[in-house]
Amino acid sequence: MLAGWWSEAVTLLARLFATVEILHLVLISYRGIWGLAWRLLSTTSVVVLACVVLASRGRPDLALMRADRGYHLIFAAALTSCLALVRHYFIRVENAYKVLLVGFCFYSCVKILLDTVLYDYLLQQQQHSQYASVWQIVVVSPYLIIVLFWGAALVRPLPQKQQAPPISMYGRISPEIHLQLRAINTQLMNFFKIEEPQQ
Amino acid sequence: MNYSAAVFASLGLLLLLAIAWLAFSGTRRNGGIARNGRWERQGLHISHLPQIKQALTNSDFMYLRDQGYPALAKGIRKERRRIALNYLACLRVEFEKLLHLARMVAVMSPHVAVAQEVQGVRLNLEFSYRYYLIYFRLVSGIAPLEAIGNLSDMVSALTVRMETAMSELGEQAVLRADLLPHNGGGLDAGG
Repeated sequence: MLAGWWSEAVTLLARLFATVEILHLVLISYRGIWGLAWRLLSTTSVVVLACVVLASRGRPDLALMRADRGYHLIFAAALTSCLALVRHYFIRVENAYKVLLVGFCFYSCVKILLDTVLYDYLLQQQQHSQYASVWQIVVVSPYLIIVLFWGAALVRPLPQKQQAPPISMYGRISPEIHLQLRAINTQLMNFFKIEEPQQ
Repeated sequence: MNYSAAVFASLGLLLLLAIAWLAFSGTRRNGGIARNGRWERQGLHISHLPQIKQALTNSDFMYLRDQGYPALAKGIRKERRRIALNYLACLRVEFEKLLHLARMVAVMSPHVAVAQEVQGVRLNLEFSYRYYLIYFRLVSGIAPLEAIGNLSDMVSALTVRMETAMSELGEQAVLRADLLPHNGGGLDAGG
């Protein structure tokens, strides 16, 4: 029993490292956004952790179960925030990375639902004899589906690391943007103060 | 099912829906900003604010009514309201375009200030709130001149922010281009 939970902890940690590594690969060319993503990950994790701790007080016999559910909730919330951030900034994510990240998140969401709904349901139905087999089937099924998707996505070789946006592109669009902005700026008031760039 | 379980189940379901939406909606393309690789140079709508304000004042309608043309006054009021609604829609397009540009600048920037980005999100929410408030007030026949002015100010504020950010990025790009040995010290600005 204890060995099972320890092995679960190892896989959870491995999943966390894999996710951070994929996010790093996706955002490596965008240093500013990567910095923002890190802060978002940390903040979301701390906030959700506090909520999970508050919501899971009492019933020490269910501590491991609730810790597992709490971890999945933190993981899914942080990853969803990061994916929303990536979408917000129009950053293109390679399909293989996208499938991996969505797979991790999907599995965590399913685990939250199973840990919450299925556990309560089985407890109410008093189906303790069938508990293990039912649990195995419903937990392993989504995992197998995800593995199939991952396999399909990883048939092709992974893309090379993304290069930084070329300066030539920036040099081309920048004057065009300035034309528009200067035209608008004739009737503007300065509401914002931008920090001086750190050299 | 107890209260805590209901909350967790709802959160799990919400996250599942969110990730499904993020996965299947794809990356948004800012097609409205650039077409065929060129930036659109269309009219800037906020420059028409004085005319819109003038069009919504009551003096013209009162004058026509006093002269004995109430039907004409009513028709003109309706027509001007329609123009104001169109102006509002164009202002929204302009605002969204600037937001897209602001995000693109942030993506290219090596340092992104959290406060600035949060401010951008706050501005967006504030703009949406004011936009719909003014929209419904215009539709219902109450012309909110001051509110339209505030909305235009928000577009202006974002533009100033953009201008400064673009200047900073421009300086950095020039510096980087100068440092590249194969670039001959010049910025490749060929379009």
